[in-house]
Order: sequence, then C-alpha cells, then structure tokens
Amino acid sequence: MLTGLVMVMVLLGLRLKNKNIQGYLALAGLAAALLLAIGADRTTGPIFFGTVEVDPLSQFFKVVFISVSLIVVLAGLSRYKDSPAQDEFYILLLLATIGMMVVSSAVDLLTLWVGFELASLSTYAMAAFDRERKNLEAAMKYFIFGSVSSATMLFGFSLLYGLTGTTKIAEVAAASMEMMGPATLVALLFVVAGFGFKMALVPFHMWAPDTYEGSPTIVTAFLAAGSKKMGFVAAFKVIFIALLALRMEWFMAFAVLVALTMTLGNIVAIWQNSVKRMLAYSSVAYAGYIAIAFVVVGAVNNGGFDIDVALGGIAGSLMLILGHAFSKAGAFIAVAVVGYMVLREGKENSDDIEHYAGLGRRAPITAFCMLIFLFSLSGIPPMAVFWGKLMVFMSAIHAGLVWLAVLAVLNSALSLAYYLRVIMYMYMKEPAGEKILEPRGYVLAMVVALVAVFYIGLFPQAFVDFAYSAAAVLLH
Amino acid sequence: MMDNAISLMIAVPLLAAIVAFFFGRGAKYAALIGSLIPLVISLQIFREFDRTTNAMQFVESYDWVPAIGVKYTVGVDGIGLPLILLTTIVTVLVVVYSWGETKRSNQFFALLLLNEVGVLGVFAALDFFLFYIFWEVVLIPMFFLVGVWGGPRKDYAAVKFFIYTHVASLIMLLSIFALYFSYRTPEGLRTFDMMTLLAATGDSTIFSPMALNLIFFGLLLGFLVKMPAVPFHTWLPDAHVEAPTAGSVLLAALLLKMGGYGLFRIIMPILPNVSPNYITLMAVIGVVSIVYGAFLALSQKDLKKMVAYSSVSHMGYVLLGAGALSILSVQGAMFQQFSHGLITCVLFMSAGTIQHIAGTRIISELGGLADRMPQFSVLMLAGFMASLGLPGMCGFVAEVSVLAGAYENLPVYVLITIFGGIVVTAGYHLWAMQKVMFGPILKKYLDLKDPHSYEILSMGILILLIIYFGVQPATITDIMGVAAEPLVNPFLTLAQTGVI
Repeated sequence: MLTGLVMVMVLLGLRLKNKNIQGYLALAGLAAALLLAIGADRTTGPIFFGTVEVDPLSQFFKVVFISVSLIVVLAGLSRYKDSPAQDEFYILLLLATIGMMVVSSAVDLLTLWVGFELASLSTYAMAAFDRERKNLEAAMKYFIFGSVSSATMLFGFSLLYGLTGTTKIAEVAAASMEMMGPATLVALLFVVAGFGFKMALVPFHMWAPDTYEGSPTIVTAFLAAGSKKMGFVAAFKVIFIALLALRMEWFMAFAVLVALTMTLGNIVAIWQNSVKRMLAYSSVAYAGYIAIAFVVVGAVNNGGFDIDVALGGIAGSLMLILGHAFSKAGAFIAVAVVGYMVLREGKENSDDIEHYAGLGRRAPITAFCMLIFLFSLSGIPPMAVFWGKLMVFMSAIHAGLVWLAVLAVLNSALSLAYYLRVIMYMYMKEPAGEKILEPRGYVLAMVVALVAVFYIGLFPQAFVDFAYSAAAVLLH
Repeated sequence: MMDNAISLMIAVPLLAAIVAFFFGRGAKYAALIGSLIPLVISLQIFREFDRTTNAMQFVESYDWVPAIGVKYTVGVDGIGLPLILLTTIVTVLVVVYSWGETKRSNQFFALLLLNEVGVLGVFAALDFFLFYIFWEVVLIPMFFLVGVWGGPRKDYAAVKFFIYTHVASLIMLLSIFALYFSYRTPEGLRTFDMMTLLAATGDSTIFSPMALNLIFFGLLLGFLVKMPAVPFHTWLPDAHVEAPTAGSVLLAALLLKMGGYGLFRIIMPILPNVSPNYITLMAVIGVVSIVYGAFLALSQKDLKKMVAYSSVSHMGYVLLGAGALSILSVQGAMFQQFSHGLITCVLFMSAGTIQHIAGTRIISELGGLADRMPQFSVLMLAGFMASLGLPGMCGFVAEVSVLAGAYENLPVYVLITIFGGIVVTAGYHLWAMQKVMFGPILKKYLDLKDPHSYEILSMGILILLIIYFGVQPATITDIMGVAAEPLVNPFLTLAQTGVI
C-alpha cells in the first residue's frame, strides 16, 4: 500500500506544476512505486481495518500494473506533449493504476469492488480521451458493458454476503465450505458472469474488440495489458479463495468458456485487416489461455487435491499475465507509432495492415520491436510469453486435461498465421512511403518493453519463483 | 582446451550476428570471422575428442529455471559431433558463397549466423527443454531468409514452412511434457535432462504402453516432418524452390539433419522400450522416401526442384539405415547425414549459380554451358557424380554401408526395390547434367563466363572435402561407429531372447 501512497502524493504534486513536467513527474512517481513494489517486504499483515493486505500475489500484480502504466506514460510523453489536456491524462492513468493496485491487495469483497470501480471509471474516461467519434463510441460501449458487469458482480457479492454474513474473502471461503445451496450457485453464476465480462471471455467479449479498436491506441495498450489483468486478479481471489469449495461447479463452466475463448479469439483474429483489431482479438484468445488456470485448479479435485498441479497452473497463468502485459503493451505502442505516421501523411484507416508494408525500412526500431513482441505473443522462445504458455500447457497436461492442452497448442500454432502476416508486411513488402522519424517517447516505451520481454525470457527463474509464491497465497 | 568450448562455439556466432546487423556494409567480414571462430573451435573439439567411448564429452551444465527443472546442459558424443562439424564447415562456405549479396546484406549475414546458433544448439543440447528452444529458434532465420530474399512465391513458401514445421514441433513438445511429468528423479524432482528421461522410458512401472506409444509417435512426427520423410515432405519443395541459394543450402545441409539427429538421439533409444517392431515402420518409410523421392526428382523440369526432391530421396537412406539395425547400417546412416550435407551444398550452389548466370533453372531451356563455364562445370559434374554415388566420394561410402547393413537384416525384395530407386537416381542426375552442361551451346548463352571466384572457391572446397571423406571416411566414421553400438545393442539382446 505504500506504493499507493507514493502515487497519491505524486497526484497532488501534479496539480501544481507546469504542464509539460507532469508527465515526467508521473514517470518518477511510477518508477518509485515500482521500486517499492519490488523491494518492499512482501508479507505485511492486513492493514486499513483488515481490508487490504500486502502479499506476494498483490505485489506480483502491482509490478505488472505499474510497469504497464510506466510504459504508457513514456508513450504519453510523445503523444500528449503540449496538449492542454495532458494533466487529466496522467491523473486518470494514475488513478486507474491505484484502483488496480487496490484490487490486487484487497482481502474484502467491498474494497475489491471499490478499487474495481475506481479503475473502471478512470479508464472509461481515458477511452474517450481524444474526443473523436470513434473514441466516444468505444467509450460508450465500454461504459455500458462495464457498468452492467460491475452490477452483476456486485449482485453476486451481495448474495454471498447475504449467505455468509461477511465480506471478508477468507471468511466467505470458510462459510462456503459448509453450506451449499441453490443460492450459492446463483451467486457463483453472477460472479462468473461479472468477471467474464472484465476478463473478456467468450461470450462476454463483445465489447473488447470495439473498445480496443476505438480508443486512443496508447489507452488501448493500458486497457489490454493492464486493466484487463485486474479482472484476473479479482477473479483469482474471489473464485480460488472464496469459492474454492464450489470448484466442481465452476470447473465445467470454465472449461467450456476457455475452449470457446481461445478458439474463437484466434479464428476471428485471422480475418482482421486492422492490426489493432487483430491484436484485440488476440487479447481475447489470451484471456482464454490465462483462464486455463481455473480449469486446471477445478480439475485436480478428482482423487484428492494435488496442490502441486494447482500451483503450477496458477503460477503459469501469472507468468502469462506478466509476459502478455509487456508484449501486448509494446505491440499496441508500435501500432500507435504507425498511426502517428499515417496521420501525418493525411491518410485514413491508420490501423489497416496495408500501412505496415515495408515498415522495416520506414521505421526500423518500431518494426523490430513489433517483430519481437509478435514472436513473443506467438510463444516462440526465448521471449517472455513463451514461459507462461509453457507452464500453463504443462499444468494442463499434468492435471490430465490432455484435450485442453492439445487444443491450446493448436490454437497457439493457429495464432502464428496472423502474427506472421503482420511480420511479412513489415519486412517483405515494398515500403509505401518515406522513412520517418520515430517519436522519442514511443521508442523509449517500446525499448523498455523489449528489454523486459527479453529479460523475462532469458532469466525467468526469479519471476517464476515470484509467481509460485504468489500462487501459494491463493491456495491457503 | 577450455571447459566452455561448446558454449563459446554457440555464443560467438550470436555476438557476430548482432555485430553484423549493426555493421552495414562490412557485415560480411563480421560474418566470415564470426563463422570461422566456431569452425576452429569445433575442429579443436574434434581433435581432443576421446574416440574410444560413447560417453558425453565437453559437458557443461548450469541451472537455468530450477523451479521447473530446466537446465542449460550441452555436450557432444559421436552422434552430435560430426553434425556440429558439418554445421561450422557449411556456414563458413555459405558465407563465402554469398559474398556478393547486396540486398540488405547486414540482415542477410546476421540471419546466416543466427541460423548457425540454432543448429549448433540443437546438436549440442542435452536438456529436452533447451533442445526444443534451439529447435524453434532455427525457424526464425529461415523464415526470413525465404520470405525476404526468396523467389516469386516466397510469402506462401515462408508461411507454409513456418507453420508446417511449427505444428510438428509443438506436437513434439507435448510428448516432451508427457515424458517430463511421468518421471521424478530419486530426489523427487522433475527434470528435463535428456539422458535421464530417455533411460527412464525403459521402466515399465512409470510408463504404460499406451502413454509410451503416444509419446513416441509425437516425437517421431516432429522428426519425420523435419527430415522430411514421405508423406510429410510437401513443405520442402516450396521452401527450397523459393529460398535464396544460401537459404536452400542451409535448409538442405543443416535443417534436414536436425530431423535425422533426433532419430538417433531420441527415437532409437526409446524404440526398444516401446515396441521393437516399429523399426520396420521406419525402414518402410525410408524405402518409400528413397524410391518415391527419386521418381519425383526424375519428373521435375526445374533444376532446383529436382535437387530438392533428391534430398527427400537421400534422407530416406538415413531412415533405412536406422531401420536396418546393424551397427554398419546405423553408422552408415549417420555418415549419410554428414555426406549428404556436403554434397547437397554443391548441388544447390550449382542450381543457384546457373540461375543467376543463365537467368533460368528450367532444364529444357539450358544447354552446353560447359563450353563457356569450364571451371564451374567440372565442380558441378563432381557434385552430381557424388550425389548419384560415384565410388571414391563420400556419398558412395555412406549408401553402401547402409545397403550392406540392410542386406544382413532385411528381406531381399526390399533391396531390389531400392536398386530400382538407385537406377532412377543415376538417371535423373545424368540426364539433367547432360542437358544442362553438354551438347552444343545455345546461341543465347554464348556470352556467359565462369561465376565469381568466391562461388568457385566454396564449391571447390566442398568437392575436396567430399573426395577426402570418400577416400578416408574413417576419419569421422570411427566415432559414429562407437556411438552406433549402444543404439543397436538393445535390439540385438531382444533378438537373442526371441522377442523380435
């Protein structure tokens, strides 16, 4: 929580200073927060009247959230330089980050929901930030779907409260062990549906491609890489801790959702001509891969609870979240560079794949970073996502879910088709224009993400350990 | 010799690739130096290699991701070392052959070096996980070599190559996971260590026959696609025909060998534990590849496509040699890998040179080139003769070893079928050679000259090596023979006890 405090202070500072400096201030605040999140003692007890707690799980997600914000702020330095509204951008971004961090630390359903809303409200505004038609449509869709899912979730929570008489996640868990009735199942249904929206699992994914495509691209990076992961940490906490007793019930639901999500996300992504929309569908597919952890934990129920398998599954999902966060954020920022390039030439449809022709020569740094991010996303070693995919697929086999592992692997191979298509446009087509000067903020953001992708890929041990200790929090 | 010879050998081209990438026009010098150093190291390893034992040598092992039992373990034995030597030799010669490459030359040479990193890693890795990583790394440079520098249908060929082989390797990966999860070390840990896991397949208390069958076929598929054996060969002609000459050479000389290497390193040790009868299956696929590949080559109009199908045919000998199960044939199959690696370089270089000098590779449009290109035609003739199995060259030694070994163990009609294939092989080589090189020179080719000296040089060195290993095969076959024994002996034991 210390990290949160630092950021609040930075926020206050933001109001006072001259506008162009604000981006750098936000940057400094985030960097300090990141250092704290990595360096701080990972196990303080409950604080703030027992509503939040610092544990390895919360720290893991904080590292993800703060890093993504950091990358987005770096890009923002170029995108919103000299813009009159830049203070709002950074404030919204930081508020959203704080909301996400509250969610990751919450041990109380109500706190969790409040953090959720803080983050969601800020991101609704961010989605409409450039105030263009497309933005507004995207933000509207996002807002309506988001509110419905929040309401659904809250309804589920209130049912749980009514049944168990407490909002503390750990106490709900104890209580749900004892009683099981139709009302519990209804609560479960609402909670799963609410989280399904946030995580963009098929069939609750409809808003995601539209919102991702319509929002300003660096906001999309934040939404896809950061705020979606908030849905996962919340779902992990509520479903694994509070509702573990019901795992037989949600196992089947998630098995179907995951299989659908992976397959549909990938198949639809192949047909997209807009790179941004393609990446959005690939995010949907990724929600499927990450959610395999739910199925794995549900499946190990048969014949005694094998903690090793469940741990491996969750740790794999966490690694996937980490790798995906960096790769996806970087990829969207590369899309932003192309958008910037196309707009300067006065052409339309800035996300169309045609504009990527010959990018390798027009914007060599962007193209190279994009190449690495796309290879990372397709799970080619030794990039970050590879380890996450690997651990998730391994845990599926370990849990005896061979069909799921085979499906996931085939999906992963299928995804190559659309990633390779972009790469071919970038490197194997004749350039459609002159070489451009790549904006410095974007380049810096991409290089940071690139270094992270390679570092995690080449030295995964520390991160895997971190992920395991975070997973252990969920299974006690 | 230093302890980290293998790691150094893998790291140098990686560094050189980065240097070459940023070097601009001087990239080729960086590439030459960056490929010569691994060659020197591999020769030194070859010199210091203990030829009397089949144990792993020059082993290095470090923890990489202990949480899931992944280690960085590399080492060489008689199976891997000849192929490492082949890789370092071929890479240097390909760099020399490509000396005149001007299109985005920094990227081109960086990719050649990156390819070397991946291939060397595959041949040296002793950890399943590391093996898989290098196996996948190889795809990336080849994808770009085909996709950027390739011919008219390069997009299609590059994607087909990538996805086809990637799917096969993912299935292989699933098999590797299944192995990994079935076994715990005596300390209760999981491991990806290749030798440990392969040995564990012999323990019937760990693996049910069903599980072992699935694992086996998953792995086999990964390797057969890479080799490629009929019926998984369809990606090869596309990739080969569209690839630039350097890409084709690396593909045929090195990447195909990864499949054959997997056969000896992984498939044969598991095989007696699964079902010894599957060896027949391998021999059958081998024979089909030899004969079918030869007929396909015979019917091609494009010289390069003909050479590509001849690779399918020649790689069939590797399968057949493994399937024939005598020490001689297995050793011959290993030597076939090495010798085909050298010979196919000459063939693809010839096809590439003809393309850029005469402007076409269609056999029927060429004629009488020997008249204007005397040096080149001598080298090309030598390469074709080596490929069809002229005694005194290394292809002959390899194929005769395989056939002699097969004669001991396989029924006669198999050999008769193969001899049919050999006749066809001689046929298409001679026919193509005769049409392209000899006869009256066509008018439009009167102005042609011999190619650049660097092309002649690299082909010449290859021919010298082919002749040297044809006359003195024992230089390298001795370590192959030592490595072949532990592969064959379990089958002999089974045969003596009457299981087969």
